[in-house]
Amino acid sequence: MGDKFLLEAQDVSKYFGGVHACEGVSLGVREGSIHAVIGPNGAGKTTFFNALSGFYYPDHGRVFFGGEEITRMPNWRRIERGMSRTFQTPSIFPELTVYDNVMLGVRSKAGIAFHARTPSGEQQAAHERRIDELLGFVNLVRFKERPVAELSHGSQRLCEIAMSLSTEPRLVLLDEPMAGLAESETERIISVIRGLHDRLGLTVLFVEHNMRVVLGLADRITVLDRGRILAEGTPSEIAANEAVRDAYLGKEVLEHV
Amino acid sequence: MNRRLARVTPGRIVALAALVLLALEPTLAPYIHVDVTIVSAALLFTIAALSANLLLGYTGLPPFGNAAFFGLGAYGCALSIKYLNVHFFTATIFGMLAALLGALIVAPFLVRRRGIYFGLLSIAFGQVFYFIAYRFTDVTGGEDGMAVTRPYLAVSTFTLKETAFYYLSLVVFILSILAFKAIVQSPFGRTLVAIRQNEVRVRYLGLDSNRFVFVAILISALFAGLSGALSALLNGFIAPLQLDWHQSGDFVLATILGGSGTVWGPLIGSIIFVIGRDIISTITPYWQIFIGALFVACVLGFPRGILGTILARFGAAPLSNEPEEANWTQSPAIAVDHHG
Repeated sequence: MGDKFLLEAQDVSKYFGGVHACEGVSLGVREGSIHAVIGPNGAGKTTFFNALSGFYYPDHGRVFFGGEEITRMPNWRRIERGMSRTFQTPSIFPELTVYDNVMLGVRSKAGIAFHARTPSGEQQAAHERRIDELLGFVNLVRFKERPVAELSHGSQRLCEIAMSLSTEPRLVLLDEPMAGLAESETERIISVIRGLHDRLGLTVLFVEHNMRVVLGLADRITVLDRGRILAEGTPSEIAANEAVRDAYLGKEVLEHV
Repeated sequence: MNRRLARVTPGRIVALAALVLLALEPTLAPYIHVDVTIVSAALLFTIAALSANLLLGYTGLPPFGNAAFFGLGAYGCALSIKYLNVHFFTATIFGMLAALLGALIVAPFLVRRRGIYFGLLSIAFGQVFYFIAYRFTDVTGGEDGMAVTRPYLAVSTFTLKETAFYYLSLVVFILSILAFKAIVQSPFGRTLVAIRQNEVRVRYLGLDSNRFVFVAILISALFAGLSGALSALLNGFIAPLQLDWHQSGDFVLATILGGSGTVWGPLIGSIIFVIGRDIISTITPYWQIFIGALFVACVLGFPRGILGTILARFGAAPLSNEPEEANWTQSPAIAVDHHG
């Protein structure tokens, strides 16, 4: 713990045609921290996230996870290594039940997703207990038998978080976990993210544009603007940073803190 | 497991009734005027439709080249009889191996394609095999096709006649549908369904989806090859047209008609398609118009297919409009155990 970077990006750039969506971004996520990446729309947050998680590969730069270079490692293998992520629009299996959604990740972790024979009763029972635990953590046990498509947006996002935990990650990447949620749901997600850190001891990297949420939740913040890093520091450093204030925040936001 | 087997459900009763009817078909044939040969053909056609269904209904990939695997099964079987003089079951296995070999050649190219690109590349590969059968006249008989002499059954000097062949088809069909059911209900099969719904998420659960697609193509080819081999033995004749992409389309059509993504749907679709085609083609040479009309009606009126529509109406739980909200006040009570 402490100074060791669990995830490290070195000089990562990604271009789409002539658009420099993300340019020379370097960042280190310390093991055991809650690290936020913020920035206005179009700042390249999601592009950077996608490059970190292998949704696509960066055009320049390198990415390390747990000391191992993963710049061009297939995304599914990164999950095996202990990374997981959620998407801005919850990425779920809409027609399957909440239970079956989480089941696939549990089976993936157990190495039986490829098996052609039914798991033994004992193994199945162990997996069911594990699913109940995960659904208990995000408070969705009572929706277990419901197709995920029937759930509210916030519940779908919680289901996605349970799915991303099902592979037993060390690092969870959350792409705008609060996007499109009502106030009450936002509070709930915030407490779940805290739980990821405080109760499960996971490292969290999340993208968010709501400054108030970020200042209250993260212990390290990186500010992106037009594809480049504008500032990085603790919440109080970021709140006091003139460049950040000018470029992004606006005074009234900071008065809430 | 035993508890699950013993449970009596409406679906099981219907399935059992269908099997009893099929078992009685040779006795009923003179009364209902449906010849055993045509029902044999429908059962074997169903196995090819199951092959299409695994890719289309479960994995979400359009199998527009499965006739190639069907044809490889047929030619593999016929050529092994002609040149190696093998018995019935060995010839069938040769057919399946030929289909598997073909799949091993094309699957590495197909495995990265999705949607329409998968479909188009499947057609292209399928047509390659079609032209090989068409041009390689010395071996395959080219356009004229080749006759297939039904060989002795295994070691004895016993040859299956029509009724016996029918029962063999029925047994192979039942084994195929049981195997198919076991595959789609296994963890592997559930992963295929997940790939159909959201492949990105499957990959972000740590699974190499291409590997699953690869194996799904091989399994699909084995089913199609089995169907092709036995169809060649049933008809006593094969021609390159059985590898043509129209044939692939017929498998897909029967699957969609019966209900893609269901275990028994392809049987319903195949029986309607094969027997319907047989009946209508005796009345008018323009039978394809009726098949086309049926397909249009299916796609517009009941896109889930016959069985899919029935299951949605009676089988599945009714979908409520708005779900209850999650109980936000209740705090999460269970810690996640990382060694659980």
